[in-house]
Amino acid sequence: MSEAAAVKDTPIEHAHQGFLKTYIFSTDHKMIAKQFLLLGLVMLMLGGGLVMLLRWQLAYPDKPLPLIGISETYMETGETETAMDRYWDEQFSKPEKEQSWIATRMPAGVISPNFYNTLFTMHATIMIFFVVMPILVGCFGNFLIPLMIGTRDMAFPVLNMLSFWVAVVSGVIILIGFFVPGGHAATGWTAYPPLSADPTWTGVDWGQNLWCFSLIFLGISSMMGSINYITTIINMRAPGMTFMRLPLTIWSLFIVAILLLLALPVLTSALAMLLFDRMAGTSFFNASGGGDPLLWQHLFWFFGHPEVYVLILPAMGIGSEILSVFSRKPIFGYHAMVYAMVSIAGLGWIVWGHHMFQSGMNPALGTTFMISTMVIAVPSAIKTFNWLGTLWGGNIQFTVPMLNALAFVSMFVIGGLSGIYMASTPVDIFIHDTYYIVAHIHYVVFGGSLFGIFAAITFWFPKMFGRMLGSKLGKIHFWITFAAFNCTFFPMHILGVGGHMRRIANPLQYEFLQQFEGLNIFITMSAFTLGMAQLIFIFNVFYSMFKGKKAEDNPWKANTVEWTAATPPPHGNFAEIPTIYHGPYEYNAPGIDEDYLPQTSQATIATDGNGKQ
Amino acid sequence: MAKPAEEKADNLTIEKDVGQGLPPILDDDSFGNGNRSNGGDSDRPINSAVLAMLLFIGAEVMFFAGIIGAFIVLRFGANDWPPPGQPRLPVVVTGINTAILLLSGLTMFKTKRLLKDWHREKILHGLTITALLGALFLAVQGFEWTRLLGFGFTLSSNIYGTVFYTLIGCHALHVLGAVIWLTIVASRLRMNSPAYSANNHVGIKLSGMYWYLVVALWPVLYGLVYFN
Amino acid sequence: MLDWLPPSISTVGGEIDKFFYVIYYITTVVFFLVAGTMIYFLIRYRYKEGREVKYTHGNTTLEIIWTVVTLVALIVLALVSKPLWSKIKQELPPSSTVVQVTGKQFNWEILYPGPDGMFGTEDDYQIDNLLHVPVNQVVHIKLKALDVIHSFFVPVLRLKQDALPGREIMMWFEANKPGEYEIPCAELCGFGHSGMLGKLIVHSAEDYDAWVKSTWPEN
Ligand code: HEM
Ligand SMILES: [Cu+2]
Ligand SMILES: [Cu+2]
Repeated sequence: MSEAAAVKDTPIEHAHQGFLKTYIFSTDHKMIAKQFLLLGLVMLMLGGGLVMLLRWQLAYPDKPLPLIGISETYMETGETETAMDRYWDEQFSKPEKEQSWIATRMPAGVISPNFYNTLFTMHATIMIFFVVMPILVGCFGNFLIPLMIGTRDMAFPVLNMLSFWVAVVSGVIILIGFFVPGGHAATGWTAYPPLSADPTWTGVDWGQNLWCFSLIFLGISSMMGSINYITTIINMRAPGMTFMRLPLTIWSLFIVAILLLLALPVLTSALAMLLFDRMAGTSFFNASGGGDPLLWQHLFWFFGHPEVYVLILPAMGIGSEILSVFSRKPIFGYHAMVYAMVSIAGLGWIVWGHHMFQSGMNPALGTTFMISTMVIAVPSAIKTFNWLGTLWGGNIQFTVPMLNALAFVSMFVIGGLSGIYMASTPVDIFIHDTYYIVAHIHYVVFGGSLFGIFAAITFWFPKMFGRMLGSKLGKIHFWITFAAFNCTFFPMHILGVGGHMRRIANPLQYEFLQQFEGLNIFITMSAFTLGMAQLIFIFNVFYSMFKGKKAEDNPWKANTVEWTAATPPPHGNFAEIPTIYHGPYEYNAPGIDEDYLPQTSQATIATDGNGKQ
Repeated sequence: MAKPAEEKADNLTIEKDVGQGLPPILDDDSFGNGNRSNGGDSDRPINSAVLAMLLFIGAEVMFFAGIIGAFIVLRFGANDWPPPGQPRLPVVVTGINTAILLLSGLTMFKTKRLLKDWHREKILHGLTITALLGALFLAVQGFEWTRLLGFGFTLSSNIYGTVFYTLIGCHALHVLGAVIWLTIVASRLRMNSPAYSANNHVGIKLSGMYWYLVVALWPVLYGLVYFN
Repeated sequence: MLDWLPPSISTVGGEIDKFFYVIYYITTVVFFLVAGTMIYFLIRYRYKEGREVKYTHGNTTLEIIWTVVTLVALIVLALVSKPLWSKIKQELPPSSTVVQVTGKQFNWEILYPGPDGMFGTEDDYQIDNLLHVPVNQVVHIKLKALDVIHSFFVPVLRLKQDALPGREIMMWFEANKPGEYEIPCAELCGFGHSGMLGKLIVHSAEDYDAWVKSTWPEN
């Protein structure tokens, strides 16, 4: 390491590394961030594709899919009409073992019940673990932490690289699952045993095992990531970057890292037990062998509830960031925002039972969990009010990131409010395991996290790729998505109120659900629109990456430190480590000429008579 | 770990030293000294590698909390514990074994106290003894296990066997990992590796921290599993 | 929106619906307040070159007010929810009618104890998916599962309870309107989960007697 001293202030030299080190096994946090982004976007298309099949089945139960299904003529007369007809004809003449992948899962183009179960299981698993987590935590955690706290890279760059590649291994394992005999996991993302614990109940053998292995690997990846994030934030902040000067994005990622670090090992332990049950003949979750099916639910939700906050907290941080920038105004109640997130992180550990009100858990515990759940809604309310406070009296610019951030706030409000119904135990008796829950999930995870992701990508795109993201396409994408999102998910509340169970492949099998056929078709049409609209986004991202307008260093005139770095930031980020003089949200501060004040600026803010800044 | 004031002025070199001898994934040196020293509060409260190790231990504790939680749910959910007709667990032998492991914690404690003044020989000695005690613990455990297996008491024979082998087995795996780690550290030290020196021994410290984890977990598991 | 609720035919259904409505009204008001304020701000403070911006970092009094108000409101909601929850899930009003319902892939196995009122005797009567009960009487259900977790769901009774293998869960309900209703399974239980469906037949007093007579003619 003799060159170390010489290199110390010219980190840019490291940029000239081979292709493999620059693009594949990179240890540069920005490249790793882009890798996570790519992983997330690819998986987003897969997860979205799966759910299109699922929505078809719900609107037109047991009807052959368009394009690949058999034709009506063939169904009625047995005459092959289209090329697909001939294909199905040929498949059905074969013994089952030799039939194609598609024929065993969607015979004649009709989604089989088991494949339906696989579809929603993998949709949720992929969206939660391979889209939202890689993008919000993996990509933006990596990209923003070093840049926003003013340092050159993560504390442990090699660990960082490993974290990504372990996530890839996990992703590959989950993909392999689609091709093993018996099909992929089909027990929901919650994988309740005994259903998931014994292949006899589902016919799924290696699919479920691979699902477990994949999530164990993902847990390892997340652990490496979160250790890195926490250490970096505690130890690597630029001089002057005190905790109370950290951007809320960094606060949220910091808290998320702690949640992940402590929650995922619990899932890992549960997954290990599940694998033992499946492969070593134990009976952790098998009552006849002395086990307890509820044990899984306790462990899973002990992880699961912190996990859902892992999905939303970064979006909250990012939303706050963007709201403040485009209101040209300090965030309202910075400290309250921080304390709200901290209390979410604390309370998040004692509310898991609200997923188990009807599970057979002692009903007295249900009451306790109801109270803690009500309490945890408070910090979310506080944050919402502060977001409104931030808009109040601002000078609001409706840029694409701002539109997405505003959508995030308003959709999160709906998701949070619907949570209150389910938190009230008597009401939950009726709406538990109905589409009401599905509506809630999607208002928080799509309306919250995914709009947060759109906001983040459109906001930091210039810094990441050095080019502006096309704003016309951005707006088109936003408005279609916003409308189609609400048309897709709002009616699900109505389905839930009507008692429509979740995870059923064919609502028309029930007398009392006949009336919802039309609504289901409407939802499906909206969902298709919603899915198509995402192609605009994907196109916009990749097109702008190469063809977009060149970006300036600070296109939004924002305060945080990443905007002082070159665009895109070189290896090592800053020519010189910055010194921090201000909080992150000093917009339109008195005594400052510009309407923004970079954290690195040495200008001082005029104080008013009250001594307040 | 607060840095003495006089070191601050020259924290480049200090930090540099501290980073060596670490497992490669905890090496934070991709920028020479640039990253580690320039970034960060000048009075960083804790060494990065030590902090990372603490966090990792936190995650491990949560993993054990998961399986201990499972044990508690299953044990107190069962009507008879232990289920009738099960071999008695070797409480006494394991009690002695517990003493062995606790002793190794003590030797590790003494060894870590030697780090500051860098008595290399004594440290090597201490590490070796600790690792040997750990290995002895594992050997006794293994011996008891073969006896239990001889009685037909296996992982899948019933829920009693399941929780026993899971908890104790997970712990044994961790001890095994810790012994291997100590062995590597000790042999590097023996070979006079430049990785460790008087003002640079975080690598040793980390292995010691991990050792404390496996030692501290054991009495809890012993108390829970062996006493009904 | 709540017009979509299925009709309620149980003694507690109306009370649950009442909560549903109360929360519905509260959350709707809150939503329109929040959304309205937001839209108002967005229009009122939309971008204008040179607009004077309120430079403020927040207001502690406001923070305290909205924290305390939401906290109190939510805790009150929890406290008033509790008695109903206990009534449904914790208390067990006395009853002379007990039926055992066992979830299995993919049927509800219904077991009637017969005239002697005891399970495991000669006169037990077992049938899949048909649950006969008398109107206006408390009925106890002994809920079990054979293989995996199922969930006993009767939308019109506003009743839902998971059935766990290895456990017996006692539930009760009192239906107050004769008729035939559906008992779907609400917890994913395998590829046949969709379509796992039983029928609840609530008999008027006479009908119920007739059904009992025809099922146990000897007595
Ligand atoms: C504002 C406060 C919130 C409350 C009071 C709340 C309450 C609840 C309750 C009681 C359930 C269980 C319902 C049932 O299964 O019967 C639930 C489910 C769920 N919540 Fe929330 N929630 C809140 C916020 C969030 C947030 C922020 C997220 C995620 C970003 C989230 C994600 C979920 C998910 C994914 C489920 C469904 C899990 C499943 O069964 O698959 N919730 N919520
Ligand atoms: Cu939850
Ligand atoms: Cu079912």
